[in-house]
Amino acid sequence: MKPPPFEYRSAHDSAEAVTLLTEYGDDAKILAGGQSLVPLMNFRMARPSVLIDINQTQDMTHIHAEDGHLVVGAMTRQRVLERDQTAGSAVPLLPAALAHSGHTTNRNRGTFGGSLAHADPAAELPTVLVALGGELTVQGPSGKRTVPAEDFFLAPLVTSLEYNEILLSARLPRLPRGTGVRVEELARRHGDFAIVSVMAAVHLDSNGRADLVRIAAGGVDSTPIRLHEAEAQLSGTTLDDAGIDAAAVAAADSVQPTDDVHGSASYRLEMVRVLVARAIRSAITHQKEGHP
Amino acid sequence: MSDKHTITVTVNGHVYTDDCEARMTLADFLRRQCGLTGTHLGCEHGVCGACTVFLDDVAVRSCLTFAVQADGARIKTVEGLAEGDELNTLQKSFQENHGLQCGFCTPGMLMCATELLRENPNPTETEVREGISGVLCRCTGYDGIVRSVMAAADSRRDGVSESGSIS
Amino acid sequence: MTTTEPQSTKYAGKPQPGIDDPSLLTGSSTYMDDITVPRMIEGAVLRSPVAHARITRIDVSKARELPGVFDVITGNDLVEIAGEQPVIWYPIPEQRIARAHALATDTVRWVGQGVAAVAAVDRYVAEDALELIEVDYEPLPVVADLEQALAPDAPKLYEDWPDNVSGSMTLTAGDADAAFAEADVVVGASFRHHPGYGCPIETRGCISNWDVFSGRLDVWLGTQSPNLARELFAQVLSLPVSKIRVRTPEIGGGFGLKFDFYPEGVIAAILSRRSKRPVKLLEDRQESFVASSRSRDMRHDFEMALRSDGTILGLRGTAYGVLGGALGTVGAGPPWASVLTSMGPYKIPNQELTLKAVMTNRSPYGSYRGWGVPKGNIVHERLIELAARKLGMSRIELRRMNFPAPDEFPYFSGAAFTFDSGRYADCLDLATSAVEERGWNELQREGREAGRSIGIGYGFHIEPGAYGPSRVLNMVGLDHSGFDEVYVRMDSAGKVTVLSGQISTGQGTHTTYAQLVAEGLGVPIEDVTVVTGDTESCPYTGYGTGGSRAATLGGAAIVNATGRLKAKILRIGAELLEADPEDLELDNGRVSVRGAADSSVSTADIGYSAYRMLNGRLPESETPTLEEVDVFDPANMTTSYACTALLVEVDRQTGAVKLLDCLQAHDAGVIINPLLADGQLAGGLAQAFGGGLFEEFVYDDDGQIRTASFMDYLIPSATDIPPFHFYHQETPAPHIPGGMKGLGEAGTIAGVSVVGSAIDDALSDLGVTVCEFPMTPPRLLELIRAAQSGEATT
Repeated sequence: MKPPPFEYRSAHDSAEAVTLLTEYGDDAKILAGGQSLVPLMNFRMARPSVLIDINQTQDMTHIHAEDGHLVVGAMTRQRVLERDQTAGSAVPLLPAALAHSGHTTNRNRGTFGGSLAHADPAAELPTVLVALGGELTVQGPSGKRTVPAEDFFLAPLVTSLEYNEILLSARLPRLPRGTGVRVEELARRHGDFAIVSVMAAVHLDSNGRADLVRIAAGGVDSTPIRLHEAEAQLSGTTLDDAGIDAAAVAAADSVQPTDDVHGSASYRLEMVRVLVARAIRSAITHQKEGHP
Repeated sequence: MSDKHTITVTVNGHVYTDDCEARMTLADFLRRQCGLTGTHLGCEHGVCGACTVFLDDVAVRSCLTFAVQADGARIKTVEGLAEGDELNTLQKSFQENHGLQCGFCTPGMLMCATELLRENPNPTETEVREGISGVLCRCTGYDGIVRSVMAAADSRRDGVSESGSIS
Repeated sequence: MTTTEPQSTKYAGKPQPGIDDPSLLTGSSTYMDDITVPRMIEGAVLRSPVAHARITRIDVSKARELPGVFDVITGNDLVEIAGEQPVIWYPIPEQRIARAHALATDTVRWVGQGVAAVAAVDRYVAEDALELIEVDYEPLPVVADLEQALAPDAPKLYEDWPDNVSGSMTLTAGDADAAFAEADVVVGASFRHHPGYGCPIETRGCISNWDVFSGRLDVWLGTQSPNLARELFAQVLSLPVSKIRVRTPEIGGGFGLKFDFYPEGVIAAILSRRSKRPVKLLEDRQESFVASSRSRDMRHDFEMALRSDGTILGLRGTAYGVLGGALGTVGAGPPWASVLTSMGPYKIPNQELTLKAVMTNRSPYGSYRGWGVPKGNIVHERLIELAARKLGMSRIELRRMNFPAPDEFPYFSGAAFTFDSGRYADCLDLATSAVEERGWNELQREGREAGRSIGIGYGFHIEPGAYGPSRVLNMVGLDHSGFDEVYVRMDSAGKVTVLSGQISTGQGTHTTYAQLVAEGLGVPIEDVTVVTGDTESCPYTGYGTGGSRAATLGGAAIVNATGRLKAKILRIGAELLEADPEDLELDNGRVSVRGAADSSVSTADIGYSAYRMLNGRLPESETPTLEEVDVFDPANMTTSYACTALLVEVDRQTGAVKLLDCLQAHDAGVIINPLLADGQLAGGLAQAFGGGLFEEFVYDDDGQIRTASFMDYLIPSATDIPPFHFYHQETPAPHIPGGMKGLGEAGTIAGVSVVGSAIDDALSDLGVTVCEFPMTPPRLLELIRAAQSGEATT
């Protein structure tokens, strides 16, 4: 399991990375944390002829709050993000989701942007982005553009990044203070890719009605799926049991999973229903119990 | 196509300069070029954790990092844990609590547990189990390992109360 | 509860930490891949991507041209030098034995079968070269699973066979048909254990150096059976045994998987002979799923007959061993052992037990800790719980009433094994009282009131160990022996070296041997060195380190040899002290007159007298040197046993199972080292929980394995395994000096069926019966749904 030969180039900043991508074309790949790409290379299932290492860059490593949003640079290590107080208080779903993403040694090296650009439909960070309607900022030779998360993820391991574009950062809306969040993940083992994951954020107003409901599921379609229908059914309601169960059924109706060795499509559908209901109920509890 | 690089790394305080192909993993560089065979390869796809080393003080899987990326870095491997001729607190605890059998996962387990205790000196059993869940052991059923890490945390705490500093 | 009174000992029975641990903890020990020998190059094997095909063309020319490549061989090159891969177990009379060469010549019969091999400057280049080898395959119909293999119109793996059945046999005791005819209650089910493997974290490997000029083959091999490997290299390569040296480095886990004799050892030897360089050939993780022994893969259709009072009258059924495209080293051995142990610890007078060994287009079946017995355990433990349910009896009491009583031992099981000794009911009580003491019953009551599905599983197992009496093993079809030989030597400085043909894979062979010698001689344990792993200096062992035989047989030989050596030391001491040997004792490395400690000599004095200054010091009647050899061939095997209890919680909406706590009451006779013994039990149980819930080779209809990575073949991590609590009773093996029984395989045997028992109990209101392993969340959810909708599940 030794990787095939490749040419190694190290970029000093994002602009140089774009220049190198443009120079080498389709045969080049960006190397960030390597937690997904390098295993594929060791299996010789991926064989880029050039790797452009962005670990030496400085301009994509940052976490900051800006006009109601959290902005996270693509080269931010997942473990740093997981433990960052600014990120945790603005978007508490992030640390909750990262706790399920591999193991600490993966997150020590793995990057925020790497997971997004790899676009595994069962991965946690893409599902968080989709759940919260995040936006991704990408840099190409002719400048930057911003892509909504739901338009960024196109298919398993496929994004809307052009060959000569690099992911710079992503913006996530700051959740209202007191928003309850919950990650319900069914994986065979702790740290494995999800068979099904559901990310939920719920905020109840002073009358006990939901003024914010965000739900997405991972592992159940070719990309993470925002469960709009379920959100619509729940928004503005008191989130009673019957409503939650009905929304969970609606959620299952809106995804198209496929079979794999860990679960059939029908099993996944059923799990979407189960986990959506659990995630909403737990998120409500989370808000009611209060948290920092 | 062979893309060769000359790199310099500091491993356990010793400086190594050598050539490597771009595709050589850090694990293979440590084992083959530096002669530090204590770092083991159990899967070469980033799951078993046996190859865990500290790269600039952070525990990473050395099968998923290319050596050329570590140029200029400070690395610590299992060979760098003992204190002189004595096992360190964690190593001693592994021996006393039968935290190893065949020893193959042990280097990764020790590196992982070292970081765990650094970040969380008083872990609960659940936190220890989660903390080491990225290293697979096939021999022990984890019972002895969990006891070893808990006992090491205890004895470090005792060390603090007796001497006022972490031993 | 009664246990043997602890004797006053210094080392034996004490929790001595592993003597090899300091080097293992500091990265200074040497495993297979850590070894580099002068002039060494590295190999890699090209493996078939298809499950069944004829090879119509292989072109290695491009690979040969790659810079850094020394040699490329195909099956046709290999057969010029090597014979077929050996099979050593023939338990089924008149079985058709499908052998294969280390590389396929004309037909491939499983995904992963070797078709060519490369030797190159390093592994990176060797893998590059594999990609340049061109092979054309003409597809043949694939027999992907057992059911396909048995279908009347099944394609055949071997054209000249009438079907895909390699062999079958039936073992009988009493009259099973009559027993079932008169039974009040019959319970039965079809049990399926899907394939998995031993999966040591260190994969297999070797370095072969075949020097044509000296005619010697020097091999470093990660094996549990160096003596057997030397025999088999000689057989396959037509070399004299005396020209072959097999050395084993530190082994990163074996679990039976490294007992078997694999093609790669032969391939590396051929590459070495041709390239005139030592060749290292390591299996990588991806290869391991198709190149290391596949195990566990069996179906058991069994039923049990009982009287209404709970007395078991009979057991009958058919076991199907899902063999691969060729036989592995141990043939149908493990499936055969599953049948032999399917009655478990129960008195069952009437038995009719059939084994069918069936070929499929899967990789060869082979050894994995437990060696068939885990599936025998599934049969008797699942059936007895089904019977308890049907009879409305306590599952504990039903077990107890069918045990042989302590005075009925040695007890003949009805099929091959005679259990040496046991207090089964005491062991059962020890476990149930521990469950009560740990508060599990209370936890379950409270949990259920809170709507949680908490279950307590029980399992009783027997573990045949100390494999085995050589002549008996030969009679039942083993082309090898079962004895163990040991040398115990005191040197001229009074320190002791033990040489054994056993090896250490982490189970602590070196430590327990040092304890036995230190205890037996009366020397400090620091004075004992244990040497294993070199056929040139270490003695012969039949079989190898497998079959729970290192502590039992090697230990017995050490007890015998140490006893004789101690007598000689005392005789020499008597000469030096001018005393009667009867009045002397040896303690802490000093021989002294009992009750007169000032009159003593050290073992260094003894050694000096036996090796250097013989005149006036060594009695005339004594030969120089201090060395004893013992060969121990047991009169019977040992049978250890345990009662295991497991606390689980089932999520009825997802089918997920959480293991909460586990305990085991165990009896392996005399325990040499409780710290290491508990480690063996815990590790085995964790592996069994892997097989019970997580680990599976999943195949598709084309015979492709879909779980060939650690992302999909799921060995349990620390968060999946519960804490363990062990309780011991000691009923010494009457025929083993030292009284030890095997315990290395206990956990793997006990731990699968108990998962089923616990899940059933958690869902007892639904009447679910778990018969399939691993019981994955989707499978369990299906059982739950079926039960909820009123369908029968058995």
